[in-house]
Amino acid sequence: MAANASPSNLPKGKPAAAALGKTQGRIVWEQFRKHHIALVGLVVLLLMYLAAAFAGFLAPYGMNEYRRTPVSAFMPPTTIHWTDPETGRITRPFVYTYTSERDPVTRQRVYVEETEGPRYPIQFFVRRPNQPYRILGLFQSDLRLFGVEEPARVFLWGTNNLGKDLFSRVLYGGQVSLTIGVLAVWVSLTLGLTFGVIAGFYGGLIDDFFMRLIEVIDAIPGLFLLIVLATLLKDPRNPLAQLFGLQMTSAQTFLMVVMVLGFVGWGGLARTIRSLVLSLREMDYAQAAKALGASEGRVMFRHLLPGTASYVMVILTLAIPGFILTEVGLSFLGLGPSEVDSASWGLLLRDATARGVSIQFVPWLLIPGIPIFLAVLCWNLVGDGLRDAFDPKKRR
Amino acid sequence: MFGYVVRRFFHLIPTFIGATLLAFLISQLVPGDFLTQRALEPNVRQETIDRMRAQFGLDQPVLVQYVRWMSSLVQGDLGMSFSSNQPVMNVIRRPIQNSLYLVVFATVMLWLMAVPLGVFSAVRQYTLGDQLVSAVSYFGLAIPNFFFAQVLVLCLFLLRSFTRETFGFSQLLFPVAGMTSNGWENFTPWHQFWDIMWHMLLPGFVVATASIAGFTRVLRGQMIEYLGSDFIRTARAKGLGSRSITYKHALRPAIIPFIAGIGALLPSLIGGAGLVEIVMAWPGITPRLLDAITRQDIYVVLGFLVISSLLLMVGNLISDLLLAVTDPRIRFS
Repeated sequence: MAANASPSNLPKGKPAAAALGKTQGRIVWEQFRKHHIALVGLVVLLLMYLAAAFAGFLAPYGMNEYRRTPVSAFMPPTTIHWTDPETGRITRPFVYTYTSERDPVTRQRVYVEETEGPRYPIQFFVRRPNQPYRILGLFQSDLRLFGVEEPARVFLWGTNNLGKDLFSRVLYGGQVSLTIGVLAVWVSLTLGLTFGVIAGFYGGLIDDFFMRLIEVIDAIPGLFLLIVLATLLKDPRNPLAQLFGLQMTSAQTFLMVVMVLGFVGWGGLARTIRSLVLSLREMDYAQAAKALGASEGRVMFRHLLPGTASYVMVILTLAIPGFILTEVGLSFLGLGPSEVDSASWGLLLRDATARGVSIQFVPWLLIPGIPIFLAVLCWNLVGDGLRDAFDPKKRR
Repeated sequence: MFGYVVRRFFHLIPTFIGATLLAFLISQLVPGDFLTQRALEPNVRQETIDRMRAQFGLDQPVLVQYVRWMSSLVQGDLGMSFSSNQPVMNVIRRPIQNSLYLVVFATVMLWLMAVPLGVFSAVRQYTLGDQLVSAVSYFGLAIPNFFFAQVLVLCLFLLRSFTRETFGFSQLLFPVAGMTSNGWENFTPWHQFWDIMWHMLLPGFVVATASIAGFTRVLRGQMIEYLGSDFIRTARAKGLGSRSITYKHALRPAIIPFIAGIGALLPSLIGGAGLVEIVMAWPGITPRLLDAITRQDIYVVLGFLVISSLLLMVGNLISDLLLAVTDPRIRFS
């Protein structure tokens, strides 16, 4: 952003000229910046997306990495020691190894620190050649931010029933849970915009047809439609899967879930776009374009569609948290991307209600709910901030 | 008024046909049916399979199956459940009832919580209390229902271990799973009713929280708008008390959109309740639906879809009618 374009550098007494020189994007950004809570939301979101993108580097373990011996199922978060137990002085952080035993009363497995054993300092920038990862699917590496030497292990947020590190899985899970909502919104947007503009522009029978179609989709409770669609489409025998080749890869299941979410969610968007287009169609500039001989398609997509842009941006931002919640819910039911190749936050929470798990003994399994909460909250804050920033009545 | 009701009712029919057709087509997306699974069992003969297939009409083309199913649906017959060999209606009646209990209870709870909160934050605009309400409503908006349920269950368990150690009181404060206590069948009817209400408190509360946020925020905006309008100033000038102004003059018009919203609320509540049902072992629609899907019990799945969409449409109709009754500005044309 060029500093000399800011109003303070312009000659005084000419605010009108300053306002004239700004693009809408610039005005909106300046308004948005004054909205402190929304700004905080934006920063937190950026951090979360970065953490998901660099999950391989930040996570000490692989997504599905676990060892059978020594047993590490349902291990509570590892205690990290910051002080030397003998001298009481602050030292380099270290951990101990753990041994497991059964509680004689509750029969629960209990883990005990071996404080007599050697200390394992936490090391930074460790190479783990047997656990390579890719960043954004492009750069391969095996450098991890931190780790400890075997046989000690560091589980910041404990482990699940198989002894997989929850901290690492939450990071990897962000790759699914944070992106699926954003992608589904685009599917929904494409459908909603296309049909909304067409319905609003042509009116009459075409309009009626699309509005009835939306009513029909809306008439089935969304969750049930989602459940049925997701189950059927994930079945390897369904026609779409056979189109792709019989064995569905993880990427295809992922896409399938995106499509399902987008398909169920486009109705409301189409309806609002339609009513916007209905009013824009009567505007002078649209009439003028028509009178000048512009084709229908040109008027529709060149003149009417951009008129809905600011509105669409706000709707979009406010729709993403809804999609995130839906994906998480589907995964919680076991209908999202599958266990083997993803760690969606919903799927992680599913571990907490699995058969034979009593939550009071393994409360750390609920940690994956916190990033869901944060992501949805921040998207909502950003959406509200954007809405106020676009609204000329709320200019500050 | 009567003409309006009839017209609205007939308007539902094409939507209903469309929705059932859509549901039916989706259910046909998977090649094979529940008999394909059974055919893999070694002790089942091919003739038996063929006979059953003909008996259920599974050998017919999709459209024929749809028309058959639809015509028996109109007569109130939803077909047979493959897996339990009973009429679908018997299989799905209880779960639907149970889900409705929960959703209606949650709606009542929502109104009881959201209306006072909305009015409060409108009257005390920009005070600490107002900001607290909006902070809490953001919280309710962002927390996934099922996660909230899990957290509450955990809190209750932790509370129990606390009270057990300090007071020797080892009961859970609220029931966290199921709909009835042990031996419910032998209770008196009154006791049975209270037992269900008692079990409903926690899941109902969780389902309601998700919608409180939106409700409170919109009600607050509406109230603020009406409180600044001319007729309120007139009322004040006449010397009316502030209580009467708030509740009689401002709240009444402000609440109207929510009456229209009841219909729209039902689907979101049914959906939202679904995941809570799973966490808290509520014997409602969603657990049974998932079960039926894994068994490929197509007619049970369809039965759930059809009845729930019927409920949804009737809910919408009722809220439109309520709106027409409560808002004198609405014309019946």
